Amino acid sequence: MSAEDVSVLLLTLRVAVLSVAAILPLGVAAAWLLARRDWPGKGLVETLFSLPLVLPPTAVGLLLLDLLRRRGPLGRSLDAAGIEILFTWKAIVLATAVMSFPLLVRPARTAFESVDPRLPAMARSLGCGPLAAFGRVTLPLASRGILAGTLLAFSRALGEFGATILVAGNIPGRTQTMALAIFHRTQIGDDAGAMRLVAVTVAVAFVIVWTAEGLERRRRRREAR
Amino acid sequence: MIELDVRLPLTRFALGVEARVAGPCVAVLGPSGSGKTSLLEAIAGLRPRAAGRIAVGGETLLDSSNGVRLPPEKRRIGYVPQDSLLFPHRDVAANVRFGLAPGPEAARVFEEAVSILEIAPLLAQHPGTLSGGERQRVALARALATRPRLLLLDEPLAAVDPAHRERILPYLLSVRDRLRVPFLYVTHNVGEAEAVADEVLVLRAGKVAAQGPASEVLRGPLAGADDPEAAFESLFEGTLEPAPRGSGTAILRLPGGGALTVPSGGPGGKAVYAVAPEDVILSTAPMTGISARNVIEGRIEAVDVSGENAMVRIRAEGGAWRSLVTAATVADLDLGIGRPVWLVVKTQAFRRLS
Repeated sequence: MSAEDVSVLLLTLRVAVLSVAAILPLGVAAAWLLARRDWPGKGLVETLFSLPLVLPPTAVGLLLLDLLRRRGPLGRSLDAAGIEILFTWKAIVLATAVMSFPLLVRPARTAFESVDPRLPAMARSLGCGPLAAFGRVTLPLASRGILAGTLLAFSRALGEFGATILVAGNIPGRTQTMALAIFHRTQIGDDAGAMRLVAVTVAVAFVIVWTAEGLERRRRRREAR
Repeated sequence: MIELDVRLPLTRFALGVEARVAGPCVAVLGPSGSGKTSLLEAIAGLRPRAAGRIAVGGETLLDSSNGVRLPPEKRRIGYVPQDSLLFPHRDVAANVRFGLAPGPEAARVFEEAVSILEIAPLLAQHPGTLSGGERQRVALARALATRPRLLLLDEPLAAVDPAHRERILPYLLSVRDRLRVPFLYVTHNVGEAEAVADEVLVLRAGKVAAQGPASEVLRGPLAGADDPEAAFESLFEGTLEPAPRGSGTAILRLPGGGALTVPSGGPGGKAVYAVAPEDVILSTAPMTGISARNVIEGRIEAVDVSGENAMVRIRAEGGAWRSLVTAATVADLDLGIGRPVWLVVKTQAFRRLS
């Protein structure tokens, strides 16, 4: 592995971790609100959340680009505040966050829906306030689905290509993630270099899936005791 | 003292329960779907739409016209639902500790709950591995650990097949005697209600159909009459004296001074035995020279004929007995209220509940 390979890997991991960390609290809150509460506009929000799943990633990337460009609706105020996002690592975080958000929310929502609402009610009766009942009962009981969603989101963040390349470009050493680097190397004829990165991604994917399966196995054993 | 004036719209009818019960032990009878569970949930604070007034021991939990509505966590009501609702992600010990208030008393309260419900061997297990009766005991221990001002018990599957069902009743009796926590106990077992409760509340379609001291309410045919799940065991609490080794029998001394011959087994001391009404034979003359060890004189209090069968209630040593006979027997033997009879019960017909 060359020094460049390592820096590509580290950037990719860092960006994926940051984007998942950013969407985790939001996604869990959204999933709970969708599963347990009725509010006006819920159907619309549901549809909006799922759009990134259906749209081509490049379309999402272009929409974000348009939103964030210097004269864009959001870009203007960001520019005034001196915050630069486009074509930096922050843009990758944003693009991967948007793309992976629905992958987190869907399983998390299903998990919340499958928790018997009488269990947190029982916790209330045993002296917990609403937040404590959520933290001690609802959240742990939904944790399996939330974990599954987090893994999906993380995987998508590791491999996101279309939206990332539009908002962050493909600047080696700055905004070149694993997926971009593999594509880039095959374009310039560095097939061996591309293959090395593929091997690295396979290893990373293997570790993630193995760990997740291990957590699940341990939990099943504990609950059967 | 429990003061109830609860109104709650349900799907098929509106719950409208108005009652003041002194307790401390109140049995709630009524057929399935008569609103018993909804009433318990309203008291526990789990029905946000409940209106009216609820006060327990002078403390107001709900007074909707004055804007008082304590959240469930402030009510200190120990609720044991029909399906136990144990937390599946925690082991038994963590379930019992769930509502344990921290403090110097915590360890003692925990130990006490564990010992009364006899769940020490289960502490490391997960709820999924417990039997129905074990789950109920853990749920009751979990409720007790919060040091509630009132216990609410929704007893499941009470009477379908008493011989093979695990029972919560014996544990409830030790809670009553050792901790003196008042409780409201939903049951289908009229005999149980009589044995455990000072007061009985009969619900029908969301309304109070009868209310009063157990001995009065359960006297008439009303209680349990329209409850297809109702059971009519006779229950006896007394002190068990081990009989000579190898005899297979033991003597249960009743508080009133009499005694029953019951099968030996289990430790001596305080014990509860039950006998099913079909195992109690009636005789209109004193009997001698028979193999049954229990021949007890009593007087008929009530005869409730329904179809081909009749439930006869007899007042005798130990309290109220029930005997199931055919309607033809009632006519042939001229069984009527006030008539003296002798109850004949085989030793083996008694089952120990605790």
